[in-house]
Amino acid sequence: MLNILIQKELKSIIVSNKFIVTFVICSILLIMSVLIGINEYKQAVTQYETVHQMADERIQQVSSWHSVSYREHRKPSPLMIFTSGLSYDIGRWSDINSRSTVKLKNSIYSDDPIFAVFRIIDFTFIVQIIFSLLAILFTFDAVNGEKEQGTLRLIFSNAVPRTKYILAKCIGTWLGLLIPILIPILLSVLIVMLFQIQFSSQEWIRLAILIFISILYTSIFVVFGVFMSTMSRSSNVSFLLSLVFWITFVLILPRGGVMASGNIVSVPRIAEVEGLKVSYAKNKWEEYYKNMNDIFADSRNNNTEEDEDISDDMMWANMKAQDSLRKEVTRDIEGNEATLLEDWENKRKAQQHLGFMLSRISPAAVFQLAAMSLSYTDIDLKSSYESALRNYRIEFNKYIDKKSENAGPGAGSIMITMDSDKGMDLKVGRDNAIDVSDRPKFTHPKVQLGKILPDVLINISILLLMFTSLLGGAYYSFLKFDLR
Amino acid sequence: MLENNKQVILEAINLTKKYDDGVVALDNLNFQICNNEIFAMLGGNGAGKTTTINIFLNLLEPTSGDAKVCGVSSHIEPLTVKQNLAYVSENVMLYPNFTALQNLDFFTQLGGRLDVSKDEYREVLMRVGLAEQVHNKKLKSFSKGMRQKCGIAIAILKDTKAILFDEPTSGLDPKAGYEFIRLLNDLKDEGKAVLMSTHDIFRAKEAADTIAIMNEGKFLMKEKASTLFDKDLESLYMQYMAVHGLKPTTEGV
Amino acid sequence: MLKTLVEKEIREILSSTKFIYTFIVCLVLILLSFYSGAVNYKLNVTHWEAANAENLRSFEGIKEWYRVTENRIFLPPQPLATLVSGVSNDIGRTANIEPSGEIVADDSRYNEEPAYAYFRFIDLEFIFLVVLALFAIMLGYDAICGEKEKGPLKLCLSNAIPRTKFLLGKFIGSFAVLSVSLIVSIGLGSLLLPMLGVFLSSEEWLRLALIVLAGLLYFGLFLAMSIMVSSMAQRTATSFLILLIIWIGSTLILPRVAVLLSGRAVDVPTVDELGYQKAMYGTEQWKEFMNTLGNYEAIDNDNMEEVMANFNKFMDSISIAREDKMNLYRSRLNEQRYNAELERSQIAFALARISPSASLSLATSTLAGTSPNLKDKFYQQAKNYQTSLKEFLSGKTGMNVGGGMMIIELDDGSPEKDPIDPSEIPQFVYETESLSTSVKDTLPDFALLILFNCIFISGAFISFNRYDAR
Repeated sequence: MLNILIQKELKSIIVSNKFIVTFVICSILLIMSVLIGINEYKQAVTQYETVHQMADERIQQVSSWHSVSYREHRKPSPLMIFTSGLSYDIGRWSDINSRSTVKLKNSIYSDDPIFAVFRIIDFTFIVQIIFSLLAILFTFDAVNGEKEQGTLRLIFSNAVPRTKYILAKCIGTWLGLLIPILIPILLSVLIVMLFQIQFSSQEWIRLAILIFISILYTSIFVVFGVFMSTMSRSSNVSFLLSLVFWITFVLILPRGGVMASGNIVSVPRIAEVEGLKVSYAKNKWEEYYKNMNDIFADSRNNNTEEDEDISDDMMWANMKAQDSLRKEVTRDIEGNEATLLEDWENKRKAQQHLGFMLSRISPAAVFQLAAMSLSYTDIDLKSSYESALRNYRIEFNKYIDKKSENAGPGAGSIMITMDSDKGMDLKVGRDNAIDVSDRPKFTHPKVQLGKILPDVLINISILLLMFTSLLGGAYYSFLKFDLR
Repeated sequence: MLENNKQVILEAINLTKKYDDGVVALDNLNFQICNNEIFAMLGGNGAGKTTTINIFLNLLEPTSGDAKVCGVSSHIEPLTVKQNLAYVSENVMLYPNFTALQNLDFFTQLGGRLDVSKDEYREVLMRVGLAEQVHNKKLKSFSKGMRQKCGIAIAILKDTKAILFDEPTSGLDPKAGYEFIRLLNDLKDEGKAVLMSTHDIFRAKEAADTIAIMNEGKFLMKEKASTLFDKDLESLYMQYMAVHGLKPTTEGV
Repeated sequence: MLKTLVEKEIREILSSTKFIYTFIVCLVLILLSFYSGAVNYKLNVTHWEAANAENLRSFEGIKEWYRVTENRIFLPPQPLATLVSGVSNDIGRTANIEPSGEIVADDSRYNEEPAYAYFRFIDLEFIFLVVLALFAIMLGYDAICGEKEKGPLKLCLSNAIPRTKFLLGKFIGSFAVLSVSLIVSIGLGSLLLPMLGVFLSSEEWLRLALIVLAGLLYFGLFLAMSIMVSSMAQRTATSFLILLIIWIGSTLILPRVAVLLSGRAVDVPTVDELGYQKAMYGTEQWKEFMNTLGNYEAIDNDNMEEVMANFNKFMDSISIAREDKMNLYRSRLNEQRYNAELERSQIAFALARISPSASLSLATSTLAGTSPNLKDKFYQQAKNYQTSLKEFLSGKTGMNVGGGMMIIELDDGSPEKDPIDPSEIPQFVYETESLSTSVKDTLPDFALLILFNCIFISGAFISFNRYDAR
């Protein structure tokens, strides 16, 4: 019995216009998005390699240990083909040196705002917006449409239990939609394989989970459409209701959640935090210069009467003292900066957390959060890179310190001595190219699947919960449906 | 042939309609309908009855020949023709969100009569058999028969020389069918020329002055109802159909 | 006659559940976008003021002007930018201005607060682009074929009314009701702005009015298109499906594809590559500079002051020479990139404008001052500011700031200097594009929107005249 009903459902869908249209739209969109994604990814990789090489070339030109600076670039993740996520929004590099702290700068969108005008179209976007819309179009008249056609009465003039009928409706329409969306999805995966994009085994698992979540997400809207079609007697009304709900849940609520949290939890802007940081640093340096002046004045006062020649030793000792004082100030400033940033980041995290919590009312938000974290293009991308870069910077600076200590003074610096007898003497340090080949290398952070899995599982269970409650809703409301 | 006070209102002259796919819907059709006359086209599905009406309404253009109303060709001056025509479709569908009165008001104004008062609307609605309490009900709550009555009321209010009825009695209960025939006779007495298409042999015999049996776009028989009075129309109908090797159909569409 | 038709159309729309639903949703969304825009703007202003104050505070206690080597400037928030965000959240808003050297703006909002980049903002442009277009489709997809399906079309056409008049009545009626209800919603929304403490200048009101006008044209275009499609299709389901495909294509696909295609067509060097080229050149120049400096022969003079002055003069001249060379090199690279960018964006937008959604986006963002040009404008003005900062600091210190210089502080026992007054530092004032320029820039988009309207309206008339109403 169930079989017959499901078969009828499938048959009526497969011969319909909307089946063909859906299939064509999905195929075109997905194949296009994956081709664009592959192109973008390949370009990003080429660019990454180019700039990485340039950074290496550049560091080899540096002649003084004091001015060594390295620029580390973010490596594109191959899953951005499917979910570009925040990869265009987050900065792509950070300078690594002793002077400035780690900060990811220059996002693609900020460099080329033209791409920001219409954004990028990717797999996740298509599933989130188009698939959900198509699912609703498939099912908004599932039950009341049959009533309008008049076939519903005929069906129930047979010994068909309502439960079986509604179950067959859900399964049938779901299967009917699965074909036109699953084939394009598999096609797009095939394209990725054909283009020989290197996926690690873990990335394949991530992709598989992403596809599973996409289907689960679409299923929610299938059941939702059936639910709506049992809520109203006229398919026009159920269509309208479905569309209004779709706009609200897919387009509005995710944004609303994050925006509301921005108003609930107030977090200062980074510019403000940096202002605080700069003020603190400026004050500290001001103090430092004052101290240095005093020391300088003292030593001059002491020296005038005794030996007029300032020996190299004295000079060296002086510089060392200066250097240690400078380092102390730097440490102090960095300590302050770290606290400021940590404080800021905690607030920011609280805000994000609340925002995502609120937006999770919407299945679209849940889906997107899961897809982005699976594709490693979510907020973690920024924080994990920044913390990895911070660790790297410490290592890097240690290395530079050691090297510069060994190299001694002079190299790459200007030394000016003034003497009332000899006049002014200027010594420019020779340009010995320095060897930085043994510098520590940066390892790109990889968020292990195990780490994000709990979060993904939570998102999946939210989606499952939505799915089952809508199914239950459809079932109960069909029990009360007026068959006349 | 014509009596002195009679004039031809509806006229088909060699009316032919061929569709793009080669189907001949109307084949050299000729008829004249005068005032105070009811003309019934009797035939199965696809005989060409609705095509004839569509040509009068200029919803279709004839391949050749003419459909004239008061001497004016429908495809040459459609707007003049439509001023003299009222039309009641098989399944009258009006604006579901409007009340009966609102629908009447709109269509009457559309028909060119801007000065009709509410009382007149009510009067006509009563005349076609709609009780006062439903006049302000929305059309979506109306049954098929009630919608039919509204459609006739609109046709009456348009006050034209000719009225076209497309399957007016299909789906009406016997009482409503009887009332409709009485109304039709009233309209005829007011001087209107009525063209109606129908499958319903008995209603046709009851009401029409002239009856034509139609198949594949041709009249197989066209006779005065009075001369047919003694003959059995049904057996005639079956006979004509059988000659042409077609299974007669009498169920509604 | 026309009056009857228009009246009927208006009455029919007003009495339909469809209209009531969509009107309520539209009203809520428009109010929401204005509300969140206002709140957002005020938040932005608070943060902007705090950042400015903090920047000013960082100069406190400094006693010598030559210690002032840089100033941070912030792109001020614009009230219209929160209604039409455009690219304003994507580009850097903070720039460290040193008297010489290149300007780089950092801290794009989405980089700084990626949570917002997940789903972006609900702004007026989004509502126009997505929600209003969908609603126009919903209200128009069954205009003709729906009347046919429901039945009254044949009856209407059995009367002596020309089809053009019938369709005209439909157009006038639906446009009138929908535009009035839209204008009412937006009017209510804009009332929220002053109520929430956001005051627009009269010029900004005018800009907002033009933005709304663009939105109305866009809405009208979709309505006209829906009516056109509905007078081509025989069934409402077909009509809706076609319209939905058009909507997906024109709003979601075409503009993106156009930009991506243009990215392929024109090879624009990336900022990173240029950065490295500049850095490499800079290193080269620095070496040369050091060499020249090493060859300096001090003048033989007993007067220390004169020796110093001579040295500083020499240093000045070579550092200016170096700076000039660097500037030349940088501006050459930047110009190359700028030209390539310009070509790319011209191709991209010309292609994207096949879709009216792109025209709407470009028109509204240009009027709100958040088009992709915003970045160039900010950089341009920051550059001007750099010049004035340099002049100011040169005036204060009497030195060529930004180049190389020697400063020796001698504690000659002169009395303690008073700290500098940071408020003397020139302020960065961002000037928005003049209204006439904006309007001029958006003329092609308005023209296109009007053209699309005309095409669809006449298309509707042509296809309705041939419509099989049986």
